[in-house]
Amino acid sequence: MSGPGDASAGRAAVPAIAVASLYQEYLVTRQTGRAVRDGIERLFADRCGESLAVIDFRDVVVIDFSCADEVVAKLVMGFGEDQDASGNLFILVRGVRDDHMDPVEGALRRRGLAVAAERTSGEPVLLGDVDPDSGEAWRMLCACGRIRSHELAQKLGLEPGSCDRLLADLYRRRLVRRCGDAFESLSFAASAADDRSPPQELQRDDGPAPNDG
Amino acid sequence: MSRVIDVPEVLDHRGFEQLVRYLPAAEDAAGARILFNAKHVRWVSPYGLIGLLAVGQVARERTGLSPRIEAPETREVRTYLDRMDFWQSAHEVFDLEPGATRSHGASDALLEITPIRSHHDVHAVVERVRERSAAILENHLHYPKPSVIQFSVMLSEVCQNIIEHAETVGWVCAQTYNYRERLGREVLMLAVMDVGVGFEGSLASEHARRFGESWSAATALEAALLFGESRFRDPGRGQGLQAIRKQVEKWDGMLAIRSGDAQIALVPDWDDYPPMQRSLPAFPGAQILIVMPARTVKAR
Repeated sequence: MSGPGDASAGRAAVPAIAVASLYQEYLVTRQTGRAVRDGIERLFADRCGESLAVIDFRDVVVIDFSCADEVVAKLVMGFGEDQDASGNLFILVRGVRDDHMDPVEGALRRRGLAVAAERTSGEPVLLGDVDPDSGEAWRMLCACGRIRSHELAQKLGLEPGSCDRLLADLYRRRLVRRCGDAFESLSFAASAADDRSPPQELQRDDGPAPNDG
Repeated sequence: MSRVIDVPEVLDHRGFEQLVRYLPAAEDAAGARILFNAKHVRWVSPYGLIGLLAVGQVARERTGLSPRIEAPETREVRTYLDRMDFWQSAHEVFDLEPGATRSHGASDALLEITPIRSHHDVHAVVERVRERSAAILENHLHYPKPSVIQFSVMLSEVCQNIIEHAETVGWVCAQTYNYRERLGREVLMLAVMDVGVGFEGSLASEHARRFGESWSAATALEAALLFGESRFRDPGRGQGLQAIRKQVEKWDGMLAIRSGDAQIALVPDWDDYPPMQRSLPAFPGAQILIVMPARTVKAR
């Protein structure tokens, strides 16, 4: 088994990490959502190689379905799933509360998408459209931090081939990161990157004003 | 010369229907300014209140003349109109006497009549009601704490409906009152109206061909409310109304949407609203009524 920080599991460069703190209490309306998404996309416009966008929801009091669609679902659609090799951008949503769950999950499910997230307690949670087997594999991977496919298969009591397919699909959807011959959770990748260098933050000036259209 | 429309004594959703029915006859007198005689109004609901603005706006657009309005004589109703900021919005619809725009001072309403023209207004409304809705939903209606945020989300989505589909100004207001007639307990009534293109017009370009001859205001309302269709091909669109519907159902509330000549409603056990009405007198835009009843001890 490869636990968090286990150097024996696959090695890979730590991704560049950028934290987009949403300094807004009210994430409502599509226009606001578009402005927020534009700010986040600008952060990654010139990046090459692997990047991890950490979207911090801790300040958000209200998010409606329309804004969740613009900020989260469209970011995942544009940056997350089914990217080609040149566009390795992963998305992790942090600071998710119960109040955020319905709009964010609803927006993602409408588009058949999913995103890796953490509750305010740090507990990992997969939001959106994911089948139960993939969800279970993802949660076990999060518990381990970084793990090889055959080791995860053992833990889950799966055939190695089945586990390979689940992990390949989670990676295709950018819900986990590939790390040499292992896979790691995005929370684990974010923590590892945090330890190495301070993340680049979305500056307040980069984000939209509360009523910016 | 004026044509007079008598505003019903009870100006609620039924009173609004009466106003809509009276309107065409009044418009027929070419060059006549319409006078809304509200002198005998004894009771007004939030829906009736912004309904009067909506009918006034349509009269103005159709005749090219700002209608006049005779204020209610009953002191309670006059005070209520003042408290709900009726005259501030009426100023842009009716030809009012100078000084008719009164300021109310402190109000106990959850949300006074607020015009919705852009997403800035939606932000303002959501931010404004947060504190008040916490007090009203938790203390008066005994809703659980998360309902305060859920109400904000619903309010935001229902107001955005105006911006997304109406292409014109709309109004929103919300107020609690004792709904003796039906329930014998308090309810929160949220009313949102516009006089824009309506559901049939908004969804036509994307869906009318599929429905063929059966395309109508009623089918457009069903497509939007029951099946989450929108005027966009984007699957992410149309979820606002779906979210509102689910939330209202969860709260055992009532939701009615009138548009064109039809009205669709989600009807709880405690009400007897018809689920679908067709062949109503045509009226532009969309008129949305949400009623959320106080939770009983058993439901808490």
